[in-house]
Amino acid sequence: MEMDSIPNGNSAVSTPAVTTPTNSTHTTPSSKLTQLTESLKLEHQFLRVPFEHYKKTIRANHRTVEKEVSSVISGVNDAADSDMSKDDAFQHLTSLVSRLQGLKRKLEEGSRTENLQAQRCRARLDHLESVDAENLSEWSNTRLKRILVDYMLRMSYYDTGMKLAESSNILDLVDIDVFQEARKVIDALQNREVAPALAWCAENKSRLKKSKSKFEFQLRLQEFIELVRVENNIRAIAYARKYLAPWGATHMKELQRVMATLAFKSHTECATYKVLFEPKQWDYLVDQFKQEFCRLYGMTLEPLLNIYLQAGLCALKTPYCYEDDCTKEDPLSQESFRKLALPLPYSKQHHSKLVCYITKELMDTENPPQVLPNGYVYSTKALEEMAKKNNGTITCPRTGFVCNYSEVVKAYIS
Amino acid sequence: MELGTVKDAFDQQLSTVRDTFERVAKRQKLSSSKSQEVIDQVSHEIEQTLANIKSVQGLMSPVDQKSILTELKHKLNAISPLNQLEGSQKELNIDLSKYPKLLEKSFNSDISKTYRNVDFDFHIVNQIIASHFYRQGQFDLGDCLINEAGEPEATALRSQFLELHQILDAIKVKNLEPALKWASTNREKLQLNGSNLEIKIHRLQFLEILKGGNRAAALNYARTFLSPLASLHMREIQKLVVCICWIGKLESNPHSELLDPTHWEKLSDELTRDFCNLLGHSCGSPLTLAMAAGIEGLPTLLKLANVMAAKRQEWLAMKQLPVPVELGREYQFHSIFVCPVSREQGSEDNPPMLMPCLHVLCKQSITKMSKGYSRTFKCPYCPVEASVAQCRQLYF
Repeated sequence: MEMDSIPNGNSAVSTPAVTTPTNSTHTTPSSKLTQLTESLKLEHQFLRVPFEHYKKTIRANHRTVEKEVSSVISGVNDAADSDMSKDDAFQHLTSLVSRLQGLKRKLEEGSRTENLQAQRCRARLDHLESVDAENLSEWSNTRLKRILVDYMLRMSYYDTGMKLAESSNILDLVDIDVFQEARKVIDALQNREVAPALAWCAENKSRLKKSKSKFEFQLRLQEFIELVRVENNIRAIAYARKYLAPWGATHMKELQRVMATLAFKSHTECATYKVLFEPKQWDYLVDQFKQEFCRLYGMTLEPLLNIYLQAGLCALKTPYCYEDDCTKEDPLSQESFRKLALPLPYSKQHHSKLVCYITKELMDTENPPQVLPNGYVYSTKALEEMAKKNNGTITCPRTGFVCNYSEVVKAYIS
Repeated sequence: MELGTVKDAFDQQLSTVRDTFERVAKRQKLSSSKSQEVIDQVSHEIEQTLANIKSVQGLMSPVDQKSILTELKHKLNAISPLNQLEGSQKELNIDLSKYPKLLEKSFNSDISKTYRNVDFDFHIVNQIIASHFYRQGQFDLGDCLINEAGEPEATALRSQFLELHQILDAIKVKNLEPALKWASTNREKLQLNGSNLEIKIHRLQFLEILKGGNRAAALNYARTFLSPLASLHMREIQKLVVCICWIGKLESNPHSELLDPTHWEKLSDELTRDFCNLLGHSCGSPLTLAMAAGIEGLPTLLKLANVMAAKRQEWLAMKQLPVPVELGREYQFHSIFVCPVSREQGSEDNPPMLMPCLHVLCKQSITKMSKGYSRTFKCPYCPVEASVAQCRQLYF
C-alpha cells in the first residue's frame, strides 16, 4: 500500500510499491484472473489421479488379453505337437474357442470401464475449464468440498466423504473409487493381515520397483516377526530364506536386526528388538502403505486440506493474532486455529497495512488514517461519521479521550 | 500486464492438455478394437479348423489330423497375434507416459513442497471441520464426521447453529416467527451492537400483511408491534404506515422499494451476522476463510520453497516468512506498520512515530537519524527538520 506523500515530498527513499486499486472491495479483473490461474495450477492431483487410474485399468486389461491369447496359442501348439484322438482334438479346440469368447466378453467389459474412466478424466478437464469470473464463488465452494472429501478419504472417514460427495453432487470430481482399493488393504492391515497388501504389491510390482519402494520388504519383516512371536521358529527360518533373503543385497542391516529376534524372542527387554514386536508397527505399516499408495497415484502425501490450511495460516499469522483483543473475524482468534498455527512462521509485510479499529476497513488513499491528539489513529470515514453524529466531537473508543474533529490530523504513511 | 494474459496462456496450456488426453483416449479405443480384432482372427482360424475336422467323416488318419493342426499352428504364427497386440500397446504406452509429464509441466506437480511436517493435530482439524459443517447447516455431515472420527461432540456449538438454521429455514418459506422471537429475546444485546434487525423483520412481516390486502390486520399489527419501536425507528415506521393507503396497489406507493424481494435474502444475511456476532463467532466460516487464504497464498509460498529448495532446514526453522504473501483486503484483520526507512515491522519496542511534518517512521529509524536523540534531523520525505521531542507515538 502506498499513501500519497506530501507535495514536494522526496519519495526517493521509498521503493515504488504496487498500488492496489482504491476503495473497491474487489481487486482488478486482471489481477483476479492471474490469481485464479495461479490457483488452477495447484490442481495437478485433480487431473493426475483419475488418469493414473485409467492407465492402470488399460494396462491390466491389456495384460489379461496378452496372457489369454498367448495361452490359447500355446494350447494350439501343444495340440499340434501331441497325438490326440480326433475327438480329443475337437474338444481341445472347442475349449480354446470358448476361452476366447470369454476373453472377448471380459475385454468388452474392460473397455467399458476404460471409457468410463476416460469420461471422468474429461469431467475434470471440463471442470477446470468451466471456471470464470462469474461462477468463481460457486466454483471455490466446490473446491473446498473436493478438498474436504480428499481429507475424509485419506483419514479413512469413508462415510462422511461419501455423504459429502453425494450431497454436493461432485462424485465425478473426487476419487472415492480409487480409495476403495486402498481401503481393503488398510482394513486388512488394521486387522493384522498382510495378504491384501502383498497382493497390492504384486499388482504394482514394476512401479514400486521403479520408485525403489521397500514396502513389500517391510510387510515380509512383519510376517516374520509374527512367526517369531508365536515361537514358530522353524517356519520363521524357512520364511526368512524364501522371502527375506532376496532383500539382503539392499537391506542387510534391517534383515540382520530382524533375524536377531530369533534369539531375543517377543518378550525381550532389549529396546532394539522390543520395538519390533510392538503393535504400533502395524500402524506404521498402514502409514507406509498410504504413502506408497499416494505416490503411485500422483497424489500429495499429505491431505490437500492440511497443505492449504498451513499455507493459509502462514499467510494470516501475525503477532497481533495471539493478542486478547484479536477480532473474531480472524480465524486465528480461535484457539483451534492458533494451536495449528503455533509451529508455523509469521507472515511478512513490506508495506504498511492499516486497518481502522472502528470500521475494520483498510485505511488507504481513499480513506486515509487520521491521528487524534493522543496518538490514536482511526480512518477518515469513521471519524467523519462520529463527528457528524456528535456535533464535531470525537471520543477515542480505546481511551475515552475527547477532542474536536478540527484537532485531528492526517498522517502520511508510505 | 495485459488483461487476462496469464489466464489466456493457461487456457492455451489446458487445451494442449486436453488434446493430449484425447489422443490417449483415441489410442485406447484403437488398442481395444485391435485386441478384439486379434481375438476374432484367432477364433476364426480355430473355428475353421474345427469345421475342417468335423467335415471329415469317420476316423481320421493321425497324419491328416496332425497336418490340419500344424496348418492351424502355422496360420496363427502368420497372424502373430502377440506381436499385433504388442504393437498397438506400444503406441498407446508412449501417449500414456506423455500425458503425466505434460501435467507435471503445466501444473505445480508437488504442492506439498511448502508443507512443514510439524505437529498438525488431526483432532483439532476434525473439530474445525465439524464446526464448519454445523455452521453451514449440514448437521448430518458434522455428526457423521464426529462419529466416524470418534471425536467428542461439540454439543453447545451444534445447538447454537441448529437454532440459527431453524430460523433461516423458516425465513426461506416466509415464516418470520422464529426470527422475530429470537430478535425480541435478544433486543437489548442487538441494540447495544447497533443492530436494527428487529424493525427489519417487522417491516417484512408488515408488508406481507399489506400484500394480503387486509387493512384492519395491518393496522392492528402496526399498533401492536411497530408502535413500541417508535422511539427508535420513527421514520421507518412512518414509511410503513403510509403504505397502508396503497393497499391493493402497493407497487405504485412512494416507498415501493420496500417490496424488493432481495430484502428477504438481505435479512437472512443480516440475521446470520447478528446471530454469530452475539454468540462471539465470526460471520463467515473460519475454515472457508483460512482455506481461501491458503489457495491465494500457496503459489507464492511454492515459489519461495523452490528458491529455498536447497535450504530445507532453514525453511523448517524460520520464524517469519522472508517475503510477503499478498492476500486480498478481506484477509486483513490487523494494522501492521512497516517503517519505510528500515523496512522493519512496528512492534511494542519499536513503535511508529509521527513526525511534525506528519510523515511516520519507526522509533529506531528516528533514533538513528537523530544520532541518539542528540540533534535535529531532516525528514527523508520532505525538507522539514524535526527533533525527537517533536515526534509522538502512534497507536493503530
